[in-house]
Amino acid sequence: MPDPTHTPPAQQIAVSCKGVTKTFGTGAAAFQALRGVDLEVRTGELLMLVGPSGCGKTTLISTIAGVLRRDGGECSVFGHDYLSMTEQETTRFRGEHIGFVFQAFNLIPTLTAAENVSTPLVIKGMKRKPAVAEAREMLRKVGFDERMLESSPVDLSGGQQQRVAIARALVHQPDLIVCDEPTSALDSETGRKVMELMRGLALASNRALIVVTHDARIYEFADRIARMEDGRITGIETPQRPAASASEILTTLKP
Amino acid sequence: MIRKYLLPILALGGIFLGIAVAIKGAKKTAPAAPVSQPAHSPYKIFVAGAGIIEASTENIAIGTTVGGVVARIYVQIGSRVKTGAPLFTLDDRTLRAEIALRESAVKVVEAQLADAKDELAFNENITDKGAVSVEDTNKRRNTVRIVEAQLAQSKAQLASTVTELEKLTVCAPVDGEVLQLKVHLGEYAPAGVLGTPLIMLGNVEPLHVRVDVDEDDAWRIRNGAVATGCLRGNKDISTALKFVRFEPYVLPKRSLTGDSTERVDTRVLQVIFSFTRGDLPLFVGQQMDVFIDAPTRTFSKPVEPVPAAEAKP
Amino acid sequence: MYYYALKMLIGDRAKYIGIIIGLTFASLLITQQSAIFAGVMSRTFSFLTDVALPDIWVVDPQVQYIDDIKPLQDTKVIRIRGVAGVAWAVPLYKGSLRARLDNGTFQTCITIGLDDETLIGGPPQMLSGSISDLRRNDGVIVDTVGAHGKLARSGPDGTRIPLKVGDTLELNDHRVFVVGICKITETFQANPVIYTTYSRATTFAPQERRLLSFVIAKAAAGEDPEVVCNRIREATGLMAYTPAKFKELTFYYYLKYTGMPINFLTAVALGFIVGITISGQTFYNFTLDNLRYFGTLKAMGTTNSTLLKMILLQALIVGAIGYGLGVGLASAWGALLSGRTQIAFYLPWQLLLITAAAVLIICLSAAALSIRKVMKLEPAVVFRS
Repeated sequence: MPDPTHTPPAQQIAVSCKGVTKTFGTGAAAFQALRGVDLEVRTGELLMLVGPSGCGKTTLISTIAGVLRRDGGECSVFGHDYLSMTEQETTRFRGEHIGFVFQAFNLIPTLTAAENVSTPLVIKGMKRKPAVAEAREMLRKVGFDERMLESSPVDLSGGQQQRVAIARALVHQPDLIVCDEPTSALDSETGRKVMELMRGLALASNRALIVVTHDARIYEFADRIARMEDGRITGIETPQRPAASASEILTTLKP
Repeated sequence: MIRKYLLPILALGGIFLGIAVAIKGAKKTAPAAPVSQPAHSPYKIFVAGAGIIEASTENIAIGTTVGGVVARIYVQIGSRVKTGAPLFTLDDRTLRAEIALRESAVKVVEAQLADAKDELAFNENITDKGAVSVEDTNKRRNTVRIVEAQLAQSKAQLASTVTELEKLTVCAPVDGEVLQLKVHLGEYAPAGVLGTPLIMLGNVEPLHVRVDVDEDDAWRIRNGAVATGCLRGNKDISTALKFVRFEPYVLPKRSLTGDSTERVDTRVLQVIFSFTRGDLPLFVGQQMDVFIDAPTRTFSKPVEPVPAAEAKP
Repeated sequence: MYYYALKMLIGDRAKYIGIIIGLTFASLLITQQSAIFAGVMSRTFSFLTDVALPDIWVVDPQVQYIDDIKPLQDTKVIRIRGVAGVAWAVPLYKGSLRARLDNGTFQTCITIGLDDETLIGGPPQMLSGSISDLRRNDGVIVDTVGAHGKLARSGPDGTRIPLKVGDTLELNDHRVFVVGICKITETFQANPVIYTTYSRATTFAPQERRLLSFVIAKAAAGEDPEVVCNRIREATGLMAYTPAKFKELTFYYYLKYTGMPINFLTAVALGFIVGITISGQTFYNFTLDNLRYFGTLKAMGTTNSTLLKMILLQALIVGAIGYGLGVGLASAWGALLSGRTQIAFYLPWQLLLITAAAVLIICLSAAALSIRKVMKLEPAVVFRS
């Protein structure tokens, strides 16, 4: 449960899953990725999802983020159930409420860093110029090098790229951020910095974060760690060394 | 910046170039204007024909009965002549000499006749029957008769030669205008039908137009139809034409345009119209485009005779 | 978003240029080949284009195309003049006569005999002399291409001296005298063209019973030429065409009886196929390369319709650029060559539209594949590395 130093404004249930199932393929080739997952994520909480490869972590966050439709069970995200929404509504919902951070960053190489960050705003319907201005602001907040704002992501280091990706996930003020292996492409030092940043920025605004990882070095940044195996949550634990509170991190980040 | 916009700018230029080439290619050169405007018909429904202007007497090619060298010409091109007016005279010196000879021959015979008559009178005046023989008197009487006959013969010969002389002067057969004068002093004028007549004569008031109409269209023309003729080369020179007659015989077409060798492949009805020249610069022999008013004409089919057997079964 | 779509496209320079090269090549090939085809075909009826004054052409009913001359009787001219609704009708001779050059060689020339009186049907553009000079004795007008080419005389040092006003020629054993040089649309046979009067042309022509090639006529003001044509057909039993119909007849004759259309069609099809393969393939590859980003955009909330429009925009932009470059290259090629050579190049505006349509089809079919791929894309792929 949340550590005592961390007192978010008002915790509410962000994600609630009960008996979620998902099967890929049919007949003999069918593979049951989720076999009835029960999980609850609260706002202001960073939940880590850990487990061996193929245990269903990615499938689970895909389902929660609304990019994959579950087969059964119940799952509501801020009270919305994707199964009762059309595909277009789901897409809109993602654009409004969910931020994504990917393992491979998925930054568009032909756009500048600032333009990449501005995409969620443009998708929501903002004009390009103010969106880019806002994106620059967000990049500054994540400590991105001012001189690199107009560079192409391919010219950036991994850490810088992940900062851009985080800025992109945050720029449109989503309520839930899902991160898939955010540190696996980074060295441990950079990975730590990125996790600190993420935790600080995300939790400060009372968001919910779900981080899929099997990088044990960053477990300490989690509020809770959910272990998965064979499509089921096998246990939820609180990390041994609680992370610094968001406010602390924010102060350390400030130049 | 330039790198980014280079291709779109080139492409835009390419489209404009394409449009420019298309516009240039579509520009049509104006067709050559006709050198003179073709004639238009004043009638709604009409038959067109090609006409040639001729004299109202038709064009008379004057010939001579005898051949000879031209000695005198009394007319010029365009002279108006009356019937019987002399046109030209051939060399008459031989005939005039012959006339003198004949006249003297007449005088000789006349003298011989007087002599014979005197001798006869001498005998008849002698009352002495024995002084002259009857035989001698009869002989003298006969001599007078013979010489009288000889005189008549000589006179006839003279008259014949005078006629020959008159024939050397060619006279106008009709009132008219000299349209063509192809004789010159000193030239030999042969008798007979000539390719170029010695003198072309015809009455030009009024003028006639001989119009060739394709036999396929011939039926459409009414007797007395009105027509308009336009001069070839200037459609503004036009005149109203008055119907004169149809030539009753349908001719093989003579090519009015081009080669003289005839390529006959159709027959034409000739229609004659007349008009007065007035001030118009129209000349005999000119071609005209003629439009003949020919309102639609229908001919009812003759009723087929009903065979008697069928009519009364 | 569309700005980003364009940036994505242009940013991938190799593919961007690859697609454009493919499309440029396709539109170049389609435009250029079609323009040459149009040029060659328009030369088959160039005579009709040049003799633009009459709106009725009367020929024998058996005539299949403009150069298929079956002479008529001379009197047909006056018969046609008598048909209601005909303003005027004049004869026109067209035939091939042999000209003897002063070096002893023979050259077949297209000889055109104009009505003696009106000289209707003359060349549209005179470079020297005037059409009315044809009224001078033995006068002929020679087209400039012939005068500078096949009819040029050779000088003592072997140079070609073009025929000019005042020169004489021997046409079918008749001595003729050049009174003018004209410019006309090039003919299909590429033989020199000689204009003279009808009566002179028929004198020069070998003796035949019939020599009247065409009767050209004009419908009276306010009369529909088509109606007058019908009337002429009924009244004379001859065939009367409007210039458009006669061109059509000629065009379809060549289309039907020569291999040219197939030949050009093959080239155009080739351009089309090459365009589809090169550009379509490259564009599809471009989409596949960017599939991950399309997936990301989709996950981040971009709707399918926006993605569709983005891909369409990309396709249309490369299409427009490729089209412009191709048309521009083809036009430049045509403009440069047709000034210097006798090449047949005719670019009607319809052809620009046809090429545009072809390029559009190429782009849309290329985009269709990509769109299908992106539409079917599950946003969940973004989590697969």
